[in-house]
Amino acid sequence: MPEVKKSTAKGGGPGKAIVVEKVDSHANDPFVVKKVARAKEMVSKLKFSDSLMK
Amino acid sequence: MNFEHYSYITDNDFKDYLFFSSGPKGRIKKGVVYTRIRDKPIVYNLAFGDVDPVTGEIDDNIISNNLDRDIVLATVANTIHDFCNRYGNHYIFATGSNPARTRLYQMNISRLLDEICIDFEVYGVIGDQEYKFQRNVNYDGFLVKRK
Repeated sequence: MPEVKKSTAKGGGPGKAIVVEKVDSHANDPFVVKKVARAKEMVSKLKFSDSLMK
Repeated sequence: MNFEHYSYITDNDFKDYLFFSSGPKGRIKKGVVYTRIRDKPIVYNLAFGDVDPVTGEIDDNIISNNLDRDIVLATVANTIHDFCNRYGNHYIFATGSNPARTRLYQMNISRLLDEICIDFEVYGVIGDQEYKFQRNVNYDGFLVKRK
C-alpha cells in the first residue's frame, strides 16, 4: 500500500482521506462486478417518491 | 460519525479506498469501491470487503472477526464523506452479498442509527420501494444520502 501522504480531501464535509498518487482499483474485481450488477437490478426497480427525487 | 476510525487512502478519483483493520487476527486489508449505478436520481453502489491476500481482490464473504466492527464501520462512513465531497451528496446504495450479510449490515445500522442520522438520511429498500429506515424491519438493501 502506498505510504505517500499527499493531502487530505477537500470539500464541505469531514472527509479525512489521505490522497495518494495511485490506489489500485478494485472496480473490476469479480465480487464487485457481481455486486454492482445485482445492485443495478435492485435500484432500477426503485420508484423514488417525489420527496426523494430532490 | 464521531467514532474512532482507521486512516485510509484514496487517489484523485475518490472512488476506491483502502485501509487496514487491526486486531487479534492481525492487519487485514479492506477496500471500499463506489460505482455509479443509476441516473435520475443519481445512485452509487458501495461495495466493501476484505482484500484477499492471495488474489488481491475484494471479497465480502470473508468473515474476519477482528473485533473492531465499529471502527471499520466508522471508517467506511468516513469514506462516504470523502466521496460526497468529490461527487456531491447523491444516494449511495449498499446491500450484503447474501441475506445473512445484509442482515448484519442492518443490525449495525440499527445499533448506530442515531449517530448515523446526524449526517445522513437513511432508507431501507424492500422490493421496489424505499422506506425511511426503521429498526426491527428487514430490508433487502439500504440507501443513504448525506444531509
